[in-house]
Amino acid sequence: MKSRIITLSAILVLLLATSSGVANPGGKGDSDRDYTCGGSCHGDPSLSSTSSAIIDVEMSSTAYSGTATEISVSISNLDTSDNGLVGIFLLSSKNGNNDHPEDYGWTIIQDPNGGLSNYVEVVSSDNRASVSWVLLAPDDLGPKEIYVSIHHGSYYNHNNKAFIGETEGITVNIEPIPENYPTLAEGWTSPEERISGDSSKIKIRTVNTESLTVYWRLSGETRSHEATVEMVADQEWEVSLPATLGDTRIEYQMVASMGDFSNAMPWLSMGTSEPYFDGTSLGANLQSISFALIILGFMVSLQSWFAPRGVDKIIDNTAEVEKSIIANQESSVTELDDEYWSRLIKSEENPGWLWDPMENEWVADPAVSLRGDE
Amino acid sequence: MMFMTAFHHLVVGLVAGSGVMMGICAILVWLSSYISNLESSKLTLDRAAYVASIFTMIVIPLAMISGNYSSTNSGGAIFYNKFLFSGIAFGFSASYFVGRVRFGPEVWDHSSLSNLQMISASFALTSIIILGSIGSKITLGESTLDIFPFWPDFMNSIVINQWFSILLVIFGLISVVISLRSSSIKVSFND
Repeated sequence: MKSRIITLSAILVLLLATSSGVANPGGKGDSDRDYTCGGSCHGDPSLSSTSSAIIDVEMSSTAYSGTATEISVSISNLDTSDNGLVGIFLLSSKNGNNDHPEDYGWTIIQDPNGGLSNYVEVVSSDNRASVSWVLLAPDDLGPKEIYVSIHHGSYYNHNNKAFIGETEGITVNIEPIPENYPTLAEGWTSPEERISGDSSKIKIRTVNTESLTVYWRLSGETRSHEATVEMVADQEWEVSLPATLGDTRIEYQMVASMGDFSNAMPWLSMGTSEPYFDGTSLGANLQSISFALIILGFMVSLQSWFAPRGVDKIIDNTAEVEKSIIANQESSVTELDDEYWSRLIKSEENPGWLWDPMENEWVADPAVSLRGDE
Repeated sequence: MMFMTAFHHLVVGLVAGSGVMMGICAILVWLSSYISNLESSKLTLDRAAYVASIFTMIVIPLAMISGNYSSTNSGGAIFYNKFLFSGIAFGFSASYFVGRVRFGPEVWDHSSLSNLQMISASFALTSIIILGSIGSKITLGESTLDIFPFWPDFMNSIVINQWFSILLVIFGLISVVISLRSSSIKVSFND
């Protein structure tokens, strides 16, 4: 019986020691992920539910092998948690492993957040979210499938479930690249960001390109401007894009031309990062302490400088000195008074008056005047 | 660390509260020499500023330690500036405290010393306002003081080499010791 109680108590303690678990309500950040995070809790039917969101995917049904192509995803009717966060996957299969488009020959040139991930997290607005990836098509010819999956929380989500939505496979037929087709060189990726205020040129590598035109615009603008492009080597170009500040994103589109044929590529974007800062926590602490001590030393010196001589609290005996002076004065006055009153002579002819033989004058008798007052 | 982030927010509130109390009370004591209406509250204001300066000196280092380990520590220039202004605020608060301890409440009876106390308290208060503004920039991305056209965004900082900082710490320590010793020498001369 005793052992049963101990066993049950141990089990109860272990059960109580477990923490309640929820999925990652604050997101986990952009990264490369497989379908439902590779069999994580989101794949568990008891911990997930079907999303009410509608996912629309726009992508060209054909793409030339090794050329840039864009996939646009529009999500509507989203019911997210109060932070509005939604995670979006771009996948080439839904096996739960090796689902990344790169496992099937695609190359991500740019994800919606400017990076190179197949999973991104964005904040929805008005229950909607729109994103786009720019990819280089695989070298292997034939039909390829692309899937889009989403997961998110919900405002009324008492069971802390993950809401999952997914599309059917979108088939893209990869065709052989036409001879002399002007496009980007294999392996070239768009820079994710530039340092704030940096106006250095961007290097672009192409193939079969006779001339390159680049248009740029700030994120949210509709009007585009032509950038200055300089050919620095065979199929290597340098593009001058204006410097950006703060959290501005700049978008640019390349148009590669060969003869009369032009290939307008999808718009790419580039963020702005803070300038490199070489300060460390230790350095900040040391500098802070040094500033505090120098200020303290300086102010204490000023206090000593401005302090009147002898004013310092510890050495200030003014009160004692003043007290002793007053006491001395009072005692001497009392002694003088006694001497003065003893020499005065009472007169019966003039009651109430005393005669001072030294000064030869009459002085009012204070004893009489006091009685008179009474 | 989540605990440190919450603790940092708590301590920052205490720094702001005690710093503002010290600054405002000290300025009012200083003004009481010129405004007769404040004369009756002089002693109370002086004591309030004195106690607030002690509390500020306790909570600023706590804010620095918790800030170092909190999740708001991005390691950027703005965070670096937060440390620098914490040091400046601590330096001026400590100066106010030392002045009050050395000269007692009579410090306000001498115009030069009372001006110095007021300057210490005002600079400490200004540094704490800047600290609050930087903290707001880090957590909210904006600050109430952004309404000023001249208010800097503190995205850049002056970084001194760590060895030079150590040298400055030693230099600061020596200067504090010498300053305090010079006043004790004066005491012995007078004795």
